Amino acid sequence: MSGIFATLKRICSERDGRLGLAFTCLILMFALVGPLVSPDPNAIDIKARFAAPGLAHLLGTDNLGRDLLARTSVGTRYALTLAVIIVVISSIIGSLIGIIAGIVGSWIDRAVAAVFDIVNAFPPLILAFALIALYGNGSATFVLLVTVVFIPQFGRMARARAKTLRNLSFIEAERMLAVHPITIVVRHYLPNVAGPIIVLASMNLPVVIAFEASLSFLGFGVQPPKSSLGTLIKDGFISINQSWWPTVAAALVLAIATLGATLLGEALRRVIDPKSTRAR
Amino acid sequence: MTDAISISNAELRFGETAALDGVSLTIPQGTCFGIVGESGSGKTTLMRAVLGLQKLDQGEICVLGNPLVPGRAALKQRASFIQPIFQDPAASLSPRSRISTMMNEVGTVLREPHAALFERLGVILNRLGLPQSVIEKYPHEISGGQARRVAIARALLMKPSILIADEPTAGLDVSVQGDLLNLLQDIRQSDNITLVIISHNLAIVRLIAENAVVMRSGKVVEGGEVGSLFKSPREAYTCELLAAWPSVTRAPALNR
Amino acid sequence: MAISLRNLSVNYSLQQGTAHALRGVSLDIEKGQMHGLVGESGSGKSTVAFALMGLLANNANVTSGTATIEGKSFDLTKRNATADLRGRGMAMIFQDPMLSLNPVFTIGTQLCEVLRRRTPGSDRKTQGAMAEDALAKVRLSNPGRRMNQYPHELSGGMRQRVVIAMALLSEPALLIADEPTTALDVTVEAQIMREIIGLRDRIGCAVLLITHSLGLVTEYCDAISVLYAGEKLESGTVRQVQRQPGHPYTRMLFDCEVPIDRERHADASQNRFTVIAGDLPDPRRRPPGCIFNARCDVSFEDCAVVSPGDYPVRNDDSHSARCLRLATP
Repeated sequence: MSGIFATLKRICSERDGRLGLAFTCLILMFALVGPLVSPDPNAIDIKARFAAPGLAHLLGTDNLGRDLLARTSVGTRYALTLAVIIVVISSIIGSLIGIIAGIVGSWIDRAVAAVFDIVNAFPPLILAFALIALYGNGSATFVLLVTVVFIPQFGRMARARAKTLRNLSFIEAERMLAVHPITIVVRHYLPNVAGPIIVLASMNLPVVIAFEASLSFLGFGVQPPKSSLGTLIKDGFISINQSWWPTVAAALVLAIATLGATLLGEALRRVIDPKSTRAR
Repeated sequence: MTDAISISNAELRFGETAALDGVSLTIPQGTCFGIVGESGSGKTTLMRAVLGLQKLDQGEICVLGNPLVPGRAALKQRASFIQPIFQDPAASLSPRSRISTMMNEVGTVLREPHAALFERLGVILNRLGLPQSVIEKYPHEISGGQARRVAIARALLMKPSILIADEPTAGLDVSVQGDLLNLLQDIRQSDNITLVIISHNLAIVRLIAENAVVMRSGKVVEGGEVGSLFKSPREAYTCELLAAWPSVTRAPALNR
Repeated sequence: MAISLRNLSVNYSLQQGTAHALRGVSLDIEKGQMHGLVGESGSGKSTVAFALMGLLANNANVTSGTATIEGKSFDLTKRNATADLRGRGMAMIFQDPMLSLNPVFTIGTQLCEVLRRRTPGSDRKTQGAMAEDALAKVRLSNPGRRMNQYPHELSGGMRQRVVIAMALLSEPALLIADEPTTALDVTVEAQIMREIIGLRDRIGCAVLLITHSLGLVTEYCDAISVLYAGEKLESGTVRQVQRQPGHPYTRMLFDCEVPIDRERHADASQNRFTVIAGDLPDPRRRPPGCIFNARCDVSFEDCAVVSPGDYPVRNDDSHSARCLRLATP
């Protein structure tokens, strides 16, 4: 616990870190509190179509008269939840595959590296289209496909770290003590791989948020009547001549969320892995 | 009595270079054996091969009469025979584990109950002049000298009959290297351990080992009892090594 | 007196406070001599070199110190005080020769670069010839071919020879060699030391050899200074200091060296190694009195209170030690 506090303190000691933390907290508050205080996001009120921001609807309404504050906050909550789930799953699976490939070596390592390269070679959006065409739309498919897209990044980093660790004397000492291989992986590889993986995960969060938004914008991803930042921007975009605020509000939230997460991730990297700062 | 370590005709190539080129030697039990050579002579590769960390292209290595075979059972048996002391013993402690955790792992391997293990550990720590409180610390919380001792304590906890130390004094100041070497000598005598010292430092090997070999580019150049090896070397290379050694020949004090 | 360094003090500001790396260190190096600066890790011996060269890290702060090189005086507390001397008046050989060599240029290009800085205007052909000649002088095999090779194609010993050739071309008044042979094998070490001596004799410069090895100093140096925890405890000619160390630390350091001709005793208890018990003092809080007091085997009450000055040993002005036992005859 004290480690977390120390990390937070060091993040707050620089401007970018403070800014990132503030933005992230703002978005978190919006996602957590927003849906509680605003009306039902799916309640249609045709009479109040395209209402401008005002007391009744703080961010106005959309083409069906649904409250945009409610829809935006629900969309944010949805985007954040998805992003966290995807990053956590892909980082865990990626690390394990990467570590094992790095330790075992031989043809298994080469095969894993080749698969990582193949997945990475596809543009993520194209890969996503292909997987959606195969498995259809839906949240579960979405999580699955984005996870697959992000696994190689974590896998490659974990593999590289594991390869270095394998030849360090503390790992060799454990092997010479005949400690069980699973114990060695869990107790001695994982904690030493975790640092860079956590940093990579935090830096991938905004990428996943933006990725989800772009897929939804293109009509894949989240399906109506559920709202997501991407669908909000798209719907607002269609009726931008009647009202500009739905697009701007959702886009602003998306911008703050990705900017905050990026700054926070960068600050975390500087704290956890100070060496890379100097190289920059 | 079987030899502690016997190596016959070990060969290993890394690409073009021969890391080990027909090395054969036997190390009798209960003695201290020195392996000297410059960098690239293959002395560290030989140690890694003996430990099973490096596969040979050809040749056979037996530890207490048991050939190196793969598999967990063989690895466990080997771990109880032979333990390494790495060049930087402090780096052989896992940086994110408590020392007690690492010691517990030894208990798991030996299937020894926790209480008995820590009783033995207490005795070993005492002997190495370490406070009992180090058990609860992380490697970065103790000094370099202490970490070195903790690494040795862990090796001793396995009750090995052979210790193999790779450049134990590399990077150490003269004022502290003696401390470590004295400790190794003490352990060796009291536990009747076979000690293998790999070093580029001829003076140290001459004093600590009974027998030694000189290695050069993967071959054993010369070997034998240290007294005759260093006093009347037969090979030109050994002479060259001895001549190049910068030594402090104390001029006699005028009056003290 | 070719080079003199007066009262050099360097602090490092660290997270946990200010560490005093050097406290009032003075050195005198004669022209054409090799001066050995001996110290264990943490003694601050490399800080001396870096302060002279103006290569200290950003968190280092020179609080006092002047250097006199060839009659010119430099205030080391100023940043880049000796910048003009780098590559001309002073040259440095590092433990890792790759620190001095640029991996993307050939050996020849880098040697000619040194010449271009020193004698601008000379034509390429003569520069190339001079560079090749320098490589031949440091006995690098096949100098003509080496000119077109890159640093990574050479072995550690060969690279160190190239760095010595660079120093040779820059004809410095002071050559600082910071652990030049620590990474090398003994046989190569002897060759490199011979080349450094050869360089000194050829251009008559002063050499400051920074090392932890007393063996090297007694074998190759003329004078010696002993550094401990940032203070100079003793200095004199190698002969004087070896014959009669004025400071207990120097004596103990000599005792710790294992002579190559020391023979193994059949009774194993006779084969003990000598050790200096205790640890270095905390560089942030200097204890009062003598800095070596806690580890000294002949200290008396005053040692914990009175800070010793530099006293001559055996009434010899060229040999002094910082020990109270010398002050009370």
